[in-house]
Amino acid sequence: MAASFIQIRNLTKSFKKGPNLITPLQDLSLDVPRGEFLALMGPSGSGKTTLLNLIAGIDSPTSGELVVSDRDIARLSRAALTKWRSRHVGYIFQLYHLVPILSAFENIELPLLLTSLTRAERRVRVEAALDLVHLADRAQHRPTELSGGQEQRVAIARAIVHDPDLLVADEPTGDLDSESAGAILRLLRKLSTDHGKTIIMVTHDPKAAAAADRTLHLEKGQLIEQTQPATSGP
Amino acid sequence: MKLLLLALKNITRHRLRSFLTMAGVAAGMFLFTAVETMQHSLATVTKISADDTTLVVYRENRFCPATSRLPEYYLPTIRKIPGVESAIPIQIAVNNCGASLDVITFRGVPPENLQRYNPDLEVVAGSFDAWLQRSDAALIGENFARRRGLKPGDTFEAVGINVLVAGIIRSGNAQDNNVAYVQLPFLQQASKVGLGTVTQFNVKVDDAARLESVASAIDETFKSDAQPTHTRPEKAFFAETAKQMVELIGFTRWLGLGAVAAVLGLVANAVLLIVRGRVKETAILQTLGFSRLMIGLLVSFEGILLGLLGGGTGVAAAVAFFQWQSFTLGNEGLTLAITPDLTVLLKGLVVALLLGLLASLYPAYRAARQPVIESLNAA
Ligand SMILES: Nc1ncnc2c1ncn2[C@@H]1O[C@H](COP(=O)(O)OP(=O)(O)OP(=O)(O)O)[C@@H](O)[C@H]1O
Ligand SMILES: [Mg+2]
Repeated sequence: MAASFIQIRNLTKSFKKGPNLITPLQDLSLDVPRGEFLALMGPSGSGKTTLLNLIAGIDSPTSGELVVSDRDIARLSRAALTKWRSRHVGYIFQLYHLVPILSAFENIELPLLLTSLTRAERRVRVEAALDLVHLADRAQHRPTELSGGQEQRVAIARAIVHDPDLLVADEPTGDLDSESAGAILRLLRKLSTDHGKTIIMVTHDPKAAAAADRTLHLEKGQLIEQTQPATSGP
Repeated sequence: MKLLLLALKNITRHRLRSFLTMAGVAAGMFLFTAVETMQHSLATVTKISADDTTLVVYRENRFCPATSRLPEYYLPTIRKIPGVESAIPIQIAVNNCGASLDVITFRGVPPENLQRYNPDLEVVAGSFDAWLQRSDAALIGENFARRRGLKPGDTFEAVGINVLVAGIIRSGNAQDNNVAYVQLPFLQQASKVGLGTVTQFNVKVDDAARLESVASAIDETFKSDAQPTHTRPEKAFFAETAKQMVELIGFTRWLGLGAVAAVLGLVANAVLLIVRGRVKETAILQTLGFSRLMIGLLVSFEGILLGLLGGGTGVAAAVAFFQWQSFTLGNEGLTLAITPDLTVLLKGLVVALLLGLLASLYPAYRAARQPVIESLNAA
């Protein structure tokens, strides 16, 4: 059997907080096959965001092995990690985090500014991403002129425009009404099924988790598996 | 390039704040450019260059045209000194010997001699012949004419002397553009110094390398006369005679430095505020894969744009102001036209750019090194 897309072995992450050492992740191991849509659940403070940030390469573990797409990113320098991130990861935040002065189009274009693509090539990519999230008619709108659900779809377009193989989403539906949330989940589902993206989504909502292929619970720094049928989305 | 556009967009984010910063920068750079224009104008008349060939013969130990008196009959003697190409006696009458913004200088010269001695004088209005024909006629420099609103045919009075404007002249020598040339005998009588007495001789030497030796030869010749002379290169003469003016302008250097410091502080403060207000957004860019270098560049570009846009406005305004106003400073009968020029303009722009860069270095460093995770969680 081929190696998993994500291979985590004995991963530990500690934070120093004053005199105390907080260790939200202790000796954690996890395998995620390529193309899987994985939901991460768990109580507040259990380390979900911490794990997500490690997998996305915006933080580095205290110890352990963290291989993503055959690359041990635990050993990459900060600069190399930044570069790796710009190619392989799309990050979706709970609060969208769009740049307010930029239009939807320009927000989505941001990751492409780090590539050598020409203006015309970038335009094609951004338009394709906008189509995918059904916002082609909102390209020139500023974030303030969009609804929350639309903002999150722009954020998703921004996360996929540079065609990364890994998407991470931290409570992407946490701030949305159930209808908008449903649209986001269908979109993520589609990105996994039709486009082969590996997706890791943190959520508090069991209905959201139901959209995923598999759900894991994080508790006391450890993962507890709890598979769910991925037949019907919410 | 892409970053530059992003930086430009960022500046429009807080329009009022950016505008106020740029207005402050513009004011500071206006002051800086004004000072530089004065320094530069002074330097062009006092900094001796290798190809200078003009000497000024003045009465020894005298510093004002009212007290420097030399007999006109020195002229043939001076002309015979080896190395002297030509010489002209000049009587100077001035309304104010102190450093002043409104100085009127009459220069009396032998009428037949002026064009021969000063061939690059160009008569832009009126005529040279009209000047020759009337004894009370004046050829006035174009700056002088502009300042006083005079044209050929007008008469004016100063220092108790009435003259008729015969023509307006333009010259490569800035001094000429600020004075009124009148006929020597007329000025000698009108200013009551009497015929036969002049203020100074201007002497051209045939070889710039002989400037000093000819000057010594002249002073040697009249050493034991009743009116000994002191002969210096024209620019040294200016620097030593117009002392008040030189000191005054020298002092403004500090104003220029102060303006630069103020601009630096202003831009640094603005960019620091920008960085502080954008911690989270910077973290998002970092999450997307923007490197520290790019984050730093983005911040620096904003500082540079603030400096350059504000500074460019201030510098351009100062240059336009002096172009239009044509200020003339006078001291001891010598005049200094404060004229802006291209090097001052370029210097102003380069300084504005460097100030923008310098002011944003620390904020850029701060932004580039902020920790991603903590910044994402920041409120
Ligand atoms: N940068 C940090 N410095 C110090 N402690 C941190 C840091 N990030 C996280 N922690 C701590 O690690 C623990 C796990 O935090 P984390 O954000 O991963 O939890 P979470 O499961 O995402 O919680 P929530 O559901 O509320 O988002 C918490 O106790 C938190 O205080
Ligand atoms: Mg969290």
